[in-house]
Amino acid sequence: MLQASSSKRGPTGRARAALGIATIALAAGLGGCAGGASSNATDASKSGAASRIGYVRMDELVKVHPLYSQLARLDDDMQALQLRALGDNIARSGSDVAQEERTLQRELDAAAAQTKKALDGKEQEYNRREQAAIAAALGAGASATGPGGQQIAGGVQAAANEQALAVEKAANQNLDAYRNELIKQDEDAEHSLQSSLSQRALREYGAQADRLEKAEADFALQEASDDSAERLSLRTKLANLALDDASHADVKAQLDALEKKEADALGAMKNRDQATLVALQKRLHDDSETELNAQVAQIRKRTMAKIGERAADTRKDVIGQLGRLNTGPGGVAVPGGVSPDMKAKLVALHAKFQHDFNGDASKTLAQFQKTRADLTRRFQELAGVDAGAQAGAGKEMDALQRQRGDLYNQMVAQIGREVRVLAEQRGINVVVSDIVAPAGGVDLTADVEKDIESLHE
Amino acid sequence: MRFFARRTAAALGALLLGSALLGPVTLAADVTDIGFVDQAALSNIPSFTAANKELAAYKAGLDRAFAKSMKGVHDQNTQARIAQEFQNKLIQHQHDLFAPLFDRARVAIASVASSKNLSVVVDKRIVIFGGQDVTNNVIDLLAGPGDPIPPVNTPPPSSVGFVDQTQIDALPKLKAANDDFQKFQTDQQQQAQAKMKNARTDADKQQVLKDYQGAVNDKQKQEIQPLVDATRSAISDVAKKRGLLLVIDRTNLIYGGTDITTDVTSELK
Repeated sequence: MLQASSSKRGPTGRARAALGIATIALAAGLGGCAGGASSNATDASKSGAASRIGYVRMDELVKVHPLYSQLARLDDDMQALQLRALGDNIARSGSDVAQEERTLQRELDAAAAQTKKALDGKEQEYNRREQAAIAAALGAGASATGPGGQQIAGGVQAAANEQALAVEKAANQNLDAYRNELIKQDEDAEHSLQSSLSQRALREYGAQADRLEKAEADFALQEASDDSAERLSLRTKLANLALDDASHADVKAQLDALEKKEADALGAMKNRDQATLVALQKRLHDDSETELNAQVAQIRKRTMAKIGERAADTRKDVIGQLGRLNTGPGGVAVPGGVSPDMKAKLVALHAKFQHDFNGDASKTLAQFQKTRADLTRRFQELAGVDAGAQAGAGKEMDALQRQRGDLYNQMVAQIGREVRVLAEQRGINVVVSDIVAPAGGVDLTADVEKDIESLHE
Repeated sequence: MRFFARRTAAALGALLLGSALLGPVTLAADVTDIGFVDQAALSNIPSFTAANKELAAYKAGLDRAFAKSMKGVHDQNTQARIAQEFQNKLIQHQHDLFAPLFDRARVAIASVASSKNLSVVVDKRIVIFGGQDVTNNVIDLLAGPGDPIPPVNTPPPSSVGFVDQTQIDALPKLKAANDDFQKFQTDQQQQAQAKMKNARTDADKQQVLKDYQGAVNDKQKQEIQPLVDATRSAISDVAKKRGLLLVIDRTNLIYGGTDITTDVTSELK
């Protein structure tokens, strides 16, 4: 808990557990092999080696990675699920459970029946009062062309339909907004990834091009150096005014041949290097594309799963809300052919009765919910928590952990590649993460962080 | 003659220049004394997989017996006692199965490390770049006929240190803070669970989660972070005094290394 290298978004104990009993046991078992050099061992003063060992603080690097927002979301999802999941309970024998379950079920049925009866009574009462009020209003403002009872009943149904449509539309709008938000996040993440991979490929290509260019320069210098004595000798001869034309032409031809030999050798080297660079460019392009496709596929898979879950939740909500609408007071819809004033009056009347009924019904329902929650809790205590819900939550948690593990590994692998490039540039031959405390090693975290942050741009 | 002498001098010059340019990498690769082992790969060797299968079968039988023993038992203390008994049986069997395998693996790792002059072998998980991967050497040795032979020499002094975090966490002031934090977290979790059950909308649930995370993070910052910083500082100080380059947790160490746990606990007391 108090580990100095605590990595909040790092591989969790649960993730490690996924490796299986053997790995954990092996890690624990082999850990005991350590400690060959005790605290009293000779001090290992190796200041010369300091520049060769580097380290990074992986938890900080993970936080600046383009996919961190997705990782954090998964962490939040897992934490939320953990909070929703129910606690452990004590198992009881089958007969005990069955008997107590029957008692509880009877209590729950009675509470539900009583609530239903109360709600039905209230509904009828509010309906009656509303109809009376509407009749009074229509009677007071009656005209020869006023709508009849049939029209009013038709209007009621139409209004209910409209409300159902509105509920469905609102739910669909919410779902669309959620879907669009996720798609937008995915697009951002994909752009970041693409940019990150391109930058990495460019860096690798640039580093190789620089190496080859330097090697070519060295080679040209070496050739010039090797041939310098011969070249000097030939030039000295050419400068000799006493040289006859034939000898002069001969020496000139030798000098030209020397220059041509060097130029040809350098040209051949440049051609080889060019071919190497073309091959490297193709490989980098192919690698980047493969990696991008794989990561994008994973991102999209995760998004589709989330959208699927949300769509299912939305359907449930809509059904629930429509159910509530149908059990509410019939109220009144605004029939056609009435004056605008009357329309406003009827709408206000309906709203008032709807509001009053909702308030009254809410109280009754709240009482029932309380009773049901209490009974549900007792059910859960009795059966050692609803096994189905527990198993469902467990499955969901496993899936989230797997997703998180995959994503985290992808991120760490990409960070690892950045670290590798940097370490090679800096001449550092070992880089580790998850250190408890730094001492004399080279901290590469800030430099790698800059590289990763630049990939967001 | 002078031509050849010049050529030789130029070649030597070029060689020296080349050595100077390539020096750090080449020399570093030769002198590195940090190795690593992929423990997940070791767990896949036949002896370990067989032991795992046997343990899984034993556990399945134990689970059935446990369910039978718990039938009709309502007293919580009795339930806890029975659960503990079964847990102990599983742990004992696991120990009986794996202890000889671990011993053999330890000797194999020590033997490989010694033959390669490694001062430290760590878990592959923490090595991002470089180091010597000795996993295959260890697997070959374990798969070979007969038992691996333990090395004659102890590991050479290493510039990589390690601490046993569990010993540090057991220091009274750290343990008290840790326990207090755990209790706080459990309380907060229970409260959040209750609120979560009543939360109707996504926004409500998000708020519950946000409040819970905020409360736990604040507590962590106030009570735990200062101790983490102090511990890290103490470890760094000890490491510098001992001339170490890095300090890792014991759980990531497999062989060798320099143990500074005692020095750190003394400094923290």
